[in-house]
Amino acid sequence: MIDAEGAEDATLRARLVQGVPVPAIRAFLDGTQRSQVIGWVGAFPLVYGTSAAVVRSRTERRLSTWDAPLVQHRVYVPLAYVLAHVARGDLERALGAMLEDTTRPALDGSIPAPHPTLLLERATLAVSRDRERLELALAERWCASRGEPIMIDGGIGASEAVAQSSCAVGVVKSHRTLYAEGDALAIVLALKKGERSSVIRVAPRGRSEVLSWYLRLRDAEGRDALWGLVRVEMCVRSRESISERADELSRWLLAESMPLAAPDPRWDRMAYGIRSAEEFLRATTN
Amino acid sequence: MTAPLGLVVATERTPNTPHQFQFWTAIDSPVGIGTIVRVDGRQPVDGHIPHAYGIVTEGFSYTDLASPLFDVLGHDGDPGQSAFAPTERAEVRLYSAAVLRHVPEEPLQPVPMGEVSLATEADVAIALRMDGYLRDDANTGIPIGLYRSGGMDSAIYLDAEFLVGPEAAHLNITGVSGLATKTSAVEWLMATLFAHFPKSKGSVAAVCFNVKGPDLCFLDQPAELEETDRAMYETLGVPCAPFQNVRYFAPFKADNVSLNTLRSNEELLGNVQPLTWGLKEVLQFAEVLLNRDDVDAKADALIDFIKERVLDREFEDRVLREKHRVRSFADLEGWFRDLLSGLEDQGSEHWRTHHVATIRKVRNRLSNISTRCAGLVTNDGHTSDLPWGDFADRAVYVVDVALAEEDAQDLIFARVVSKLREHLEKRDLGVSHVVVFVDELNKYAPADGPETYVRKMLLDIAERGRYLGLVLFSAQQFRSQVHRRVVGNAGTALYGRMDGDELATPGYAVLSAATRTKLATLSKGQLMVRHPHFTQPIFVSFPRPAVMRGRDGVERFPQAADVPRDVGVLRQLRRFDPSLTLAWVQDVIGLHEDEDVLRALHATLAHAPDNVGAYFKSQFRKIIRATPAPAPARTPLRVLPDDDPYAI
Repeated sequence: MIDAEGAEDATLRARLVQGVPVPAIRAFLDGTQRSQVIGWVGAFPLVYGTSAAVVRSRTERRLSTWDAPLVQHRVYVPLAYVLAHVARGDLERALGAMLEDTTRPALDGSIPAPHPTLLLERATLAVSRDRERLELALAERWCASRGEPIMIDGGIGASEAVAQSSCAVGVVKSHRTLYAEGDALAIVLALKKGERSSVIRVAPRGRSEVLSWYLRLRDAEGRDALWGLVRVEMCVRSRESISERADELSRWLLAESMPLAAPDPRWDRMAYGIRSAEEFLRATTN
Repeated sequence: MTAPLGLVVATERTPNTPHQFQFWTAIDSPVGIGTIVRVDGRQPVDGHIPHAYGIVTEGFSYTDLASPLFDVLGHDGDPGQSAFAPTERAEVRLYSAAVLRHVPEEPLQPVPMGEVSLATEADVAIALRMDGYLRDDANTGIPIGLYRSGGMDSAIYLDAEFLVGPEAAHLNITGVSGLATKTSAVEWLMATLFAHFPKSKGSVAAVCFNVKGPDLCFLDQPAELEETDRAMYETLGVPCAPFQNVRYFAPFKADNVSLNTLRSNEELLGNVQPLTWGLKEVLQFAEVLLNRDDVDAKADALIDFIKERVLDREFEDRVLREKHRVRSFADLEGWFRDLLSGLEDQGSEHWRTHHVATIRKVRNRLSNISTRCAGLVTNDGHTSDLPWGDFADRAVYVVDVALAEEDAQDLIFARVVSKLREHLEKRDLGVSHVVVFVDELNKYAPADGPETYVRKMLLDIAERGRYLGLVLFSAQQFRSQVHRRVVGNAGTALYGRMDGDELATPGYAVLSAATRTKLATLSKGQLMVRHPHFTQPIFVSFPRPAVMRGRDGVERFPQAADVPRDVGVLRQLRRFDPSLTLAWVQDVIGLHEDEDVLRALHATLAHAPDNVGAYFKSQFRKIIRATPAPAPARTPLRVLPDDDPYAI
């Protein structure tokens, strides 16, 4: 296991989720981001980014928007280089609070190189960070005020408050980082529908520690090994035993395999509520 | 103003136009096909916020699924699993609406983006342009029913000037049989017309042809109504009561004493009058009964000659043995017999340019009429007719031809309508407007087939009647099979539940698929209404008529059985004098020929004298009862001696 240690079993193994799927999730949280180059100052890009997050709560099987969605529009400007061409005052007058500097010095005082592609990537990264910030803000608000089970698209470790909240269930659909290798990885990839891996404790750098496990939502036979596979995160403070809690949350997630989140291409791993949040933001932030 | 229930939505692919727009609503909104909605624009035009009124003509519903296959996969092919889905899929309710009216009407622009709300009662009046004829100072509204939506009832009014004339006129009802649509609707319409036709517009009466069953036979008898019906009557301001002034007319059966109608129960005979015509009345409409094969130009000329020169005149000719005054079919037969006999005696084949063969042919055809129309046409020339010149305001005159032969039906229709037209032209009918109701228009004015006299008359009413105050209310099962000019001239059209095949005909192509579907599933008491003021068809509910249904009527008042001549005569006379008895009638008519009895009966009915019995009796010539002659005294040829020894 990579950056992880077993929290349930000494060695990672496959476990059949006990009990029948039960829908208990009350809300779904997701965010979206969109960015586009709106101009160039010399060789340097000006990027317009929109990031947003929303909670779709479920009442009597119908989804509706909880509270107000958070939407943020920013213009991401590499100020360190642009100021040579445009006066700061003019930029501030034109962009006001939307102005966001993508060349803020690092802790060591260095600023990014004046490479247009690099600056473009930094702008996109900044939009992504803003989106994550909005998601966490909403998640914290939900956990503080409602405290009912909420499925969050992605990990929950970026916020200490959320990572410690028993109502938050993070569902990671992408597997760029796998928390298993060797035999453990083989076990994860061989999980069958309705099976989960042993719970592990993960603490990536800069994020809070959470408990996590892999769960196979759909039968992957004849498909790639990651088909229907998600990684679940929950807080480490749980009153029940880890196994019982992991099974309970797994049952909740298995219950969300209907209705299908199609036509989203990630429908094998995506809950319909998460798709609903994305669709809501796509419709309202265009 | 009601809370918004939808929002107008337009895209490049489905833009709004001045006559159509789309809007979406919540899943549980009370919008449906036929709902009237109001759109409030957001941006003022020429200083005015534009409003548009529309009626929903189509509805769409879809989810975020790109393909049904995803749903199948999502449920693992098992529909039963849908119950386990914790979330309902997002669903859209999208509606198309046709514009009823823009306010302001100029400049005419596409429907603006804006909130959509259910039309209030006031909105409905504006949307349907009823505000133009429901003014306090000039109210010509005739309530047709209630528009219902979102728990609100709005009375829908037709404009009397476009229903009865002179702006437009006539009404046509289409609907499948057996759902009480057509007859019920026309009964309700007559009730509401009589209740609301403005006095300032004149007077109105109705002449209804009962062409099938007992449909219109009990218009003066009350129905058993439900509370909801009574409430509708109250809302629409129409008395919940049967017609107060109804008169029935029916020909006799072939026996000439029993009325040929399902309304022959003795309890109801008080306002039932025989419909009988003599030669004079029939000859004017010989064309109705004689087809082109019967009457060529030569025969036509002779018939004209008889009408102009012979009928009801002293007529003498050197060929004839005696003077003739032809007033009846019997007289006419005598005239023909005399004429043909005279020609035979003279060995002549021509008389006044008419060939003897033509004379024989016309004799044959005309004589045949009294046989074909037995019960309607009298041999003795007696006439019992509608009260021409004495029609009463808000009265219904039902001419029951349901049991009459087809020829007789045609003759009755042609003559009654012609007389109505004639009197309305002269303004001496007694009322200024007459509604003529004809059912089974498929039969009387078919779209194809030979040109008949009846069809010509219907076309004439449809095209010119409104100038005279002669209004046609017609009904049929298949509108597509009726002559286009008859239905096309009907300013107002009502549609009950329709047959799917009929809805597939081109005449209904202007309706949306959803509207056609709604028409195919309308329940009793619902109609779709087209009226000149309404730019789109409107759905309304109307109450059950306050008159007894035909089938209830025949159960409660069974048809009188065929009776002997004396009983038939008694029934007719007792309408005027209930004290008459069968024994008295038998005593009066016992020795007389049928012909004499009928003549006496017809004369009595025609004069309706104060002393019916005496008048009836006076019509018979005195017949001295024969007394047997006393037997002649027998005289023996020979008296035998008492003591004749050979007598044994």
